[in-house]
Amino acid sequence: MLDDHTQVLDGTSVPAVNGTDPARDALLARSEARGEGAWMRRFREQAWAAAKAMPWPSLTDEAWRRTRLTGLDPDNFSYSPTHKGRVGEEALSPLLQGELNEMESAATLIFEDGLMRYRTGVAALEEQGIIFKPLDLATREHEELLREYFMTRVVPVETDVFTARHAALWDSGTLIHVPRNTRVELPLQIINWQGEGQAGHHHTLVVAEEGAEVTVMDDLLGARRGLQNSVIEIVQEPGSQVRYMHLQDLDMSAWNLMHGRAHLERDADLRWIQVSWGSMLTKAFLDLVLRGPGGHADLLGIYFPTGRQHIDHQTLQLHEAPHCFSDLLFNGALKDRARSVYMGSIRVTPEAQQTDAFQRNGNLLLDSSTRADSIPGLEIEANDVRCTHAATAAQVEDEYVFYLMARGLSRPQAERLIVQGFFQAVLERVPVESVVHKLEQVIERKIGG
Amino acid sequence: MSQLEIRDLHARVEGQDILRGVSITLRPGEIHAMMGRNGSGKSTLAYVIAGHPHYEVTEGDILLDGESILEMEPNERCQAGIFLAFQYPVSVPGVSVANFLRTAVSNVRGFTKEAHLASQEGGVVGSHLMPMRKFRRELTAKMKEFQVDSSFARRYLNEGFSGGEKKRTEVLQMAMLEPRFSILDESDSGLDIDALKVVADGINKLATEDRGFLLITHYQRILNYIKPDYVSIFHDGRIVMTGGPEVALELEEKGYNWVEEQFGPAELAA
Ligand SMILES: Nc1ncnc2c1ncn2[C@@H]1O[C@H](COP(=O)(O)OP(=O)(O)O)[C@@H](O)[C@H]1O
Ligand SMILES: [Mg+2]
Repeated sequence: MLDDHTQVLDGTSVPAVNGTDPARDALLARSEARGEGAWMRRFREQAWAAAKAMPWPSLTDEAWRRTRLTGLDPDNFSYSPTHKGRVGEEALSPLLQGELNEMESAATLIFEDGLMRYRTGVAALEEQGIIFKPLDLATREHEELLREYFMTRVVPVETDVFTARHAALWDSGTLIHVPRNTRVELPLQIINWQGEGQAGHHHTLVVAEEGAEVTVMDDLLGARRGLQNSVIEIVQEPGSQVRYMHLQDLDMSAWNLMHGRAHLERDADLRWIQVSWGSMLTKAFLDLVLRGPGGHADLLGIYFPTGRQHIDHQTLQLHEAPHCFSDLLFNGALKDRARSVYMGSIRVTPEAQQTDAFQRNGNLLLDSSTRADSIPGLEIEANDVRCTHAATAAQVEDEYVFYLMARGLSRPQAERLIVQGFFQAVLERVPVESVVHKLEQVIERKIGG
Repeated sequence: MSQLEIRDLHARVEGQDILRGVSITLRPGEIHAMMGRNGSGKSTLAYVIAGHPHYEVTEGDILLDGESILEMEPNERCQAGIFLAFQYPVSVPGVSVANFLRTAVSNVRGFTKEAHLASQEGGVVGSHLMPMRKFRRELTAKMKEFQVDSSFARRYLNEGFSGGEKKRTEVLQMAMLEPRFSILDESDSGLDIDALKVVADGINKLATEDRGFLLITHYQRILNYIKPDYVSIFHDGRIVMTGGPEVALELEEKGYNWVEEQFGPAELAA
């Protein structure tokens, strides 16, 4: 069975097949070892060729002007050295057991070092016709679905050099497919743990058919001195409802690149929660594309860089159809020389009349050594629209801290409450109670530390 | 005997001397009213007692039961039993009154020491917080007693509160924190007569034998509802006259210009 391989997969030690490109040969060897369908090896090979032909971001590229990748050599990481096979819950690390038990979920997949280690709850979903499985398995069992959606139309392979590399190198990946008018009551949970010094390419593909409803939590952990280059694709057929939560809590030394994009057809409803806690550097592209009338999308983000963390979100609200609504709110707190960048764009095409599109970015600076850049943008080609954007930056004022301290709160308690209060506008729209609780704990940890 | 003694206090802010030798002693069971013009330094005195970091004490001392509190942080002063009701309470978005007060009350009552009781009370063992049920019960009762609508527990602290609602919430917090000495900085200002009565009523309920009050005010009006033991006139950063309730009436009659004629023009800009 696929999950029970125990080969050593070290990118550098696999002998080259034809000697010209060891990295390519290694990724193909890994694909084979994972038991993927043969078509996927061709797919990966082509993507690799595309990646090699694509330019590295240049300093004049607007998207990369404020976030430099100096010191990043993407080929200088290792790849899931050993496939340890599947284990029972008791063999999971305490951290992963904690993550698993903290949340109430319909089903959970746990990946370690790029491969699935544990899963639970999947059988009951299958009875409802819901697919929730690792991508490598899906390349054999759902080839048609993947050929249609996997990096073809939502985040195409050649979006940029990182997506092309992702297409060639993806490892921990999940296919979620919810059939017509089917509703998954509890969240589907994906937990991804990445070991030290590794490159990880996490992929989540959600396809919600007409009238389907699903909530997905994507939990990213680990990657000490590693690289995570993820792609999230969400396809929403008419009238579907998706709640997607991306909880990035990587090690503070990780490089983190992300491309996330959702396509909403008529009357589709999306709420995307983007949480950026960890990593040394994050550059995340998040795009909403409203392709059919009546679509409704909320994109809510929180980030809290501390120390020397650098967190960059770049969002696009693309309205291509009339009568759609999109609301974006990104709130960030910064502490101890941290740096954040927010770049937002609302684009409304000529046919997208009666668009409501809102965008807000708030930054709370816990001390004066931090810096938050906020660059909003509007590109409106329709005339009957309501679009607003706003950016605010505020210091945690002594007056607030003093007021709370005069009521007996210690300084850390006062700061914690102020920051939690600042995040509240996002937290109160997080659809899963246990996630809210978890986020509050991280905020506490970040302030304490 | 328990007392809060302010002894020849001098303080400055932003390089400007504001307090110029204030001496006053608060004792349990006594209400000391302090009246003065805008800009005379009343709020400065209140802030210095509470430990505002922007104000620097240049001379004199503040002694609680004989011990100086000048080196204490604002939260330590609060925990020691000193409470300041702000003239202008700040609003804290996203922080609910209940959430904030539970932390405050737990700290002030030293809930860590009672952690072993938590399980009996239905709380979390080892948690530093007062058990939720116990806290809720008490808050609900006090909100009723001090005429704060129960919906305010969930509202964000002072956010969108009217002037009267802010002042009533300050009194509610005082009731929850049970301080020994309270400094009330213009808890009456900006209130219509009904709101004023509610606030005065709350203060009277709390003015028991074991508590002392410094009632800072600009107008004599609140003294129709709260009977002070002493009235002092504050002028140009110090107390220029102290007497019984008759001082307030005299001031009401003659106006602040009379103070200026008696004690010289203020050097501080109003
Ligand atoms: N933070 C501050 N920075 C500069 N000046 C201040 C500050 N706080 C108070 N002052 C000055 O101190 C004086 C007294 O102010 P305040 O104590 O607020 O008076 P009152 O409460 O009696 O109206 C005023 O001249 C005011 O401008
Ligand atoms: Mg004042």
